[in-house]
Amino acid sequence: MSDKINPQKLKLVKRPKNGSITNPYYGCTVGAAYSVLGIKGGVPIANCGPGCMYKQFFMQSFDNGFQGSYGAGGGNLPSANVQENDVVFGGLKTLDNLIKSSLAVIKGDLYVVLTGCSGELIGDDVPSVVKKYRDKGYPIVCADTGGFKGTNLTGHEIVVQSIIDQFVGDYDGEKTPGLVNLWFETPYYNQNWRGDYEEIVRILRGAGLKVNILFGPENEGVKAWKKIPKAQFNLIISSWVGLETVEKLKEKYNQPYLHIPVLPIGEEATTAFIRKVVEYAGIDKKKSEKFIKREAELYYYYIEHFAEFFSEYWFGLPSEFAVIANSDYAIAYTKFLADQIGLIPKKTIVTDNPPEKYRAALAEEYKHLSDGVAIEPDFVEDGYTVQQILEKEVTFGPGVPLIIGTTWEIDYARDHGALLLESSSPTTESLVVNKSYIGYKGALSFIEHIYSATVGGK
Amino acid sequence: MAKEIRQIAIYGKGGIGKSTTTQNLTAGLAEAGKNVMVVGCDPKADSTRLLLGGLAQRTVLDTLREEGEDLELDKILKVGFKGTRCVESGGPEPGVGCAGRGIITSIGYLERLGAYTEDLDYVFYDVLGDVVCGGFAMPIREGKAKEIYIVASGEMMALYAANNISKGIARYAKQGGVRLGGIICNSRNVDRELDLLKAFSAELGTQLIHFVPRDNIVQRAEIRKKTVIDFDPESAQAEVYRQLADAIEHNTQFVIPKPMTQERLEEILVEYGLFD
Repeated sequence: MSDKINPQKLKLVKRPKNGSITNPYYGCTVGAAYSVLGIKGGVPIANCGPGCMYKQFFMQSFDNGFQGSYGAGGGNLPSANVQENDVVFGGLKTLDNLIKSSLAVIKGDLYVVLTGCSGELIGDDVPSVVKKYRDKGYPIVCADTGGFKGTNLTGHEIVVQSIIDQFVGDYDGEKTPGLVNLWFETPYYNQNWRGDYEEIVRILRGAGLKVNILFGPENEGVKAWKKIPKAQFNLIISSWVGLETVEKLKEKYNQPYLHIPVLPIGEEATTAFIRKVVEYAGIDKKKSEKFIKREAELYYYYIEHFAEFFSEYWFGLPSEFAVIANSDYAIAYTKFLADQIGLIPKKTIVTDNPPEKYRAALAEEYKHLSDGVAIEPDFVEDGYTVQQILEKEVTFGPGVPLIIGTTWEIDYARDHGALLLESSSPTTESLVVNKSYIGYKGALSFIEHIYSATVGGK
Repeated sequence: MAKEIRQIAIYGKGGIGKSTTTQNLTAGLAEAGKNVMVVGCDPKADSTRLLLGGLAQRTVLDTLREEGEDLELDKILKVGFKGTRCVESGGPEPGVGCAGRGIITSIGYLERLGAYTEDLDYVFYDVLGDVVCGGFAMPIREGKAKEIYIVASGEMMALYAANNISKGIARYAKQGGVRLGGIICNSRNVDRELDLLKAFSAELGTQLIHFVPRDNIVQRAEIRKKTVIDFDPESAQAEVYRQLADAIEHNTQFVIPKPMTQERLEEILVEYGLFD
């Protein structure tokens, strides 16, 4: 790119919505049941129609890297399977029976009743039923997650805030210096969430922070949630999901927050991330700088090996790419590929339908991807429309195009001889166990996966 | 060709006398030899009490709840005065569930069970208070009632409600064949009530189809669980209801109402002395 782009000239394009979605990229509000499963000992109790949970499971776990689930999850959640009688006469009796049975047969540390469309529409007084059990000493909360309220990400915030209000409760005691609440990727929906949590926690600990981990492999369940009010501050590493929660915590527990809108990938971004967090926390920099030095050395040891391939294997390497992913992954992958690998971004499409109020700020991040490199992101929530946009608006040069996308882009990739790396929901052609493309180590895996595909591997 | 059943929905402010008026006028139609079915669409289930001589009726929804989906028509359809067929939709307990959905469910069951037989001349839907949501508009959706009558009086709130109901009718009229057949005045002995109701009806673009004067014989009949025609067929009030039945039988004036603005409604009320 010889001519520098003037980022100020980029404007958010408003695409007309036709009101229906052919190929969805996200689940509905009640899909936040899977956020509950991201907490160890968390048991979701679904108060919704038959089939709701199964669909959510497929969108977020099965058809999203076949992640499976931990604890009381999978496609076998307790569900009220609300029927017509429950709608006409109210569904509280059915729910009461379900809660009673769930408490009897599923061992858990925190039960979250998620009410879907039917119960929300008819105005069932779910809190009165849940309170009955809470008064008996059961750790149980309820969340108003009518599917019509938005996406599983909207639901994620509702669930998190319901747990804070009804389970964590009020607190005005001492704060623990250096303790930080980690608000990071949405469990299951961000398909690499487990690996990403592990990497980000490793980095934060390495930098000298005490991390209160609320979801994921190293989460300590309800013990961590009860600790939330004691933290010195909230660290939110996310494009937009969780911002409402940290605002709430600021009010409720007088806790400030640091917002990092772009997941760090690669040495430069991760080192800058650590320095920003350490500065904000006001902790000793010796430990973090020592950690950075060691991580950077390792990183470039590997990169030097890769660089030889990168410079020698000059035929058939992609030079242009497109990213179709949720808000978090879209900016992080676009930025890393543009800034660190030197590829040319042709299109980035954000698929998770972020609320309008956040879009300008999200788009702002794309204005300085690298020196002289900017792009205008699209916000499109239908895979069918995405395919049309790619067909009509993107012309790749002579090299092989690289698509960091989802299953919905398979046809496009095949027709255009592109390399497709499935990296966001839905994903049906790769399996995710412990994968991460962020931080120091994740960046190396990201490079491995892209260039394995380039040399013909899977 | 099979004749079309005239399906009629009666709306109006709560407490205005919809159920009383509906039953008395259907008694008039039955007496004149018409085959009539009355479907109560109110969770209170008191729309057929006068025709049946008491609240002996089990509602569709209660039966559905207690006995499951294998309903028999004779369990929910009772025959009352002069062969009128009476059904109560019923509903949830006050404050829970969704009464509107209950009406949709209930009418769906009546259709599946074959309650709408070809020999029927009329089906009346007696709907509660106001068209508060989609469920209560069920009787006026496509394929159901095409004629609406609104019961009103010279009281301000009754006219507010009638105007609001007209908005619902106008909405559905655009999509299908539903029309307003007229306003029935159930008199509360308000000053200049007849003039006011005539002016109000004209403003809506419809007619005042009948004026039912206030007469305590209606209450006396109600206490005995009877319509006036059943209780005292020779009374003047019985004749009033026969006239109403006749007016509906011969009505040809079916319109899309023109609901008025709040300001215009209040102007009319001022004009006829309601705001002194």
